Amino acid sequence: MQIAIQLILTSLQIGAVYILFSLGLTIIFGVMRIVNFAHGHLFAVSALVVATVVSWLAARGFPVLPAYLLAVVAGVAVSMALGYVMYVFGFKYFQRDMVGSFILSIGLVLLLDGILLEIFGGAVRPVPEILPGNAEILGASVTIQRLFLCAMAILITAILYWALTKTKLGKALRAVSLDHEAAMLQGVPYNRMALAGFMIAAALAALAGALIAPISIVTPVIGADYLIKGFIAVIVGGLGSIPGAILGALFVAAIETFGGFYLDPTSATIAIFVLVIVVLLVRPKGLLGHG
Amino acid sequence: MGENLKLPYWFFGIALVLGATLLVSDPYVASVVNIVSIAALIAVSLRFVMLIGELNFATAAFVGIGAYTAGSAITILEWPFLVALVLGGIVAALVSIVFGYITLRTKGPYFLLIGFAFTEAVRIVYSKSMVLGGNSGMVGIFPPIAFDPWMPTFVMAVVALMIFGLYLLERSDFGKILTAIRDNEDVARTVGLNILFVKIACFAIASFAAGMAGSLHAVTNNVISPGDFSFLLAAFALAYVKVGGEDNIVGPLVGAVLLVVLGSYALGLGGHEHIFYGAAVILAVLLMPEGITGLLRRGRDRLMGKGKRHAA
Repeated sequence: MQIAIQLILTSLQIGAVYILFSLGLTIIFGVMRIVNFAHGHLFAVSALVVATVVSWLAARGFPVLPAYLLAVVAGVAVSMALGYVMYVFGFKYFQRDMVGSFILSIGLVLLLDGILLEIFGGAVRPVPEILPGNAEILGASVTIQRLFLCAMAILITAILYWALTKTKLGKALRAVSLDHEAAMLQGVPYNRMALAGFMIAAALAALAGALIAPISIVTPVIGADYLIKGFIAVIVGGLGSIPGAILGALFVAAIETFGGFYLDPTSATIAIFVLVIVVLLVRPKGLLGHG
Repeated sequence: MGENLKLPYWFFGIALVLGATLLVSDPYVASVVNIVSIAALIAVSLRFVMLIGELNFATAAFVGIGAYTAGSAITILEWPFLVALVLGGIVAALVSIVFGYITLRTKGPYFLLIGFAFTEAVRIVYSKSMVLGGNSGMVGIFPPIAFDPWMPTFVMAVVALMIFGLYLLERSDFGKILTAIRDNEDVARTVGLNILFVKIACFAIASFAAGMAGSLHAVTNNVISPGDFSFLLAAFALAYVKVGGEDNIVGPLVGAVLLVVLGSYALGLGGHEHIFYGAAVILAVLLMPEGITGLLRRGRDRLMGKGKRHAA
């Protein structure tokens, strides 16, 4: 029982990051019908900036917690600025062009890979412990930091869900993702919605990166693994579907954790792939996909 | 049909490049020539699936399957060189038929992403398989000694044969069905075509070419490892297609030659390969959506006063 609880908690921690990641991917796809492989780099840039700024401030005698909060602000700002540049100079011209946008994003992946390696180097960046200590939940032990990550991810997801269902912007975004032409006929400014959707997704990736930095090994290629899992989550859930992205992310995280414990990490990765194949055989547009 | 194939150009071109490879004696130049040939074949294979309107990122996986098949056939089974080479293509095609039967029911982003996931899953299998050398890969995949001086010519000949074959297929009635599916799958279905079957056939043919490229990579590089066959391989191939232009089969060839040669020059300068390829792709899609061959054609049309060409 204790093992099961421990495994469920671990799935939730990993799942929390996958959810933030796949929500971004699904929003971008829903609004602009594009596939953005450079999304992982927004995540990586944020994590790298956080790691660098925290170490820099901590080395100058700052207390760790304020240093971390400052670093999060810096990381999210840099990452969103990068997202804005990507949109204005690139993706803006490739809306609803799946192949073109994908090719552009592959170019960005290669370019940013090289640039990040040049700026930050390939070395691993340790981040000092922000919230020390452990907590006991039903007999299973979790570090406070991971618990904080989960809580933040749930909070962010809840806010996003509320915003998408209740606010005017959220309703407009959902209208655009269902049928952008009908939405435009109702007076929804499509171009502004596309930018808003892209920036919300960038912010989600940046926050995920900032949250993961203290509990993970930060390297310039940190985004690649999460990107693959995030994409698998949205394929399983259905591209463009918000509940689908959450469901898919939890699915992938659960298989990864339980498979990794009872079998081994390799079999777990292959099991995830088999899951995707099975889902696509039954529902070629994912569990909750419609468009 | 026959008068439109431009066969004299093809025969002259193939004879020219084969003749040129005979003059290569410097080992560095020979290796660049091999890389160019193999890159061109992978790019043409990727473009062949683009004829049905899908981006096939599983190309990287099939190149890997070909390379590992040829590698095991030569080093473990000790089969004859030419048999091992062709076996790489055949195994890749067989795997692609099974994979395609499942995944070609999906389209667009789903097909693209599933190919991407497949590439990564296959790579994990190599790295965990002790028979295939795990993470460090396989070594000692040598062609027979007699082949050694002729390697660039041999590789170029195989590649030229494959590309010419794919060109003939594209210009045949089968090729017209492929573009019909890209333009409107439902219309193609209403005239009684079995769409899934045609798609699988197209996918298997392209994967055979990719597998052959993998075999050639294994025997020219002598060493293969799981890291060689990540999704970046397909990304580079896409760069060749996009920079060269995808409207015509010559496009990927131009792109492969240009980017590989410039890329190896950039490496010599100590530049980063990734930055170079990334910038090339971004500039190509932003500034010349039809690639270099598209630009050339438009320039030629303007010179001849033909005005705007009708979209194909």
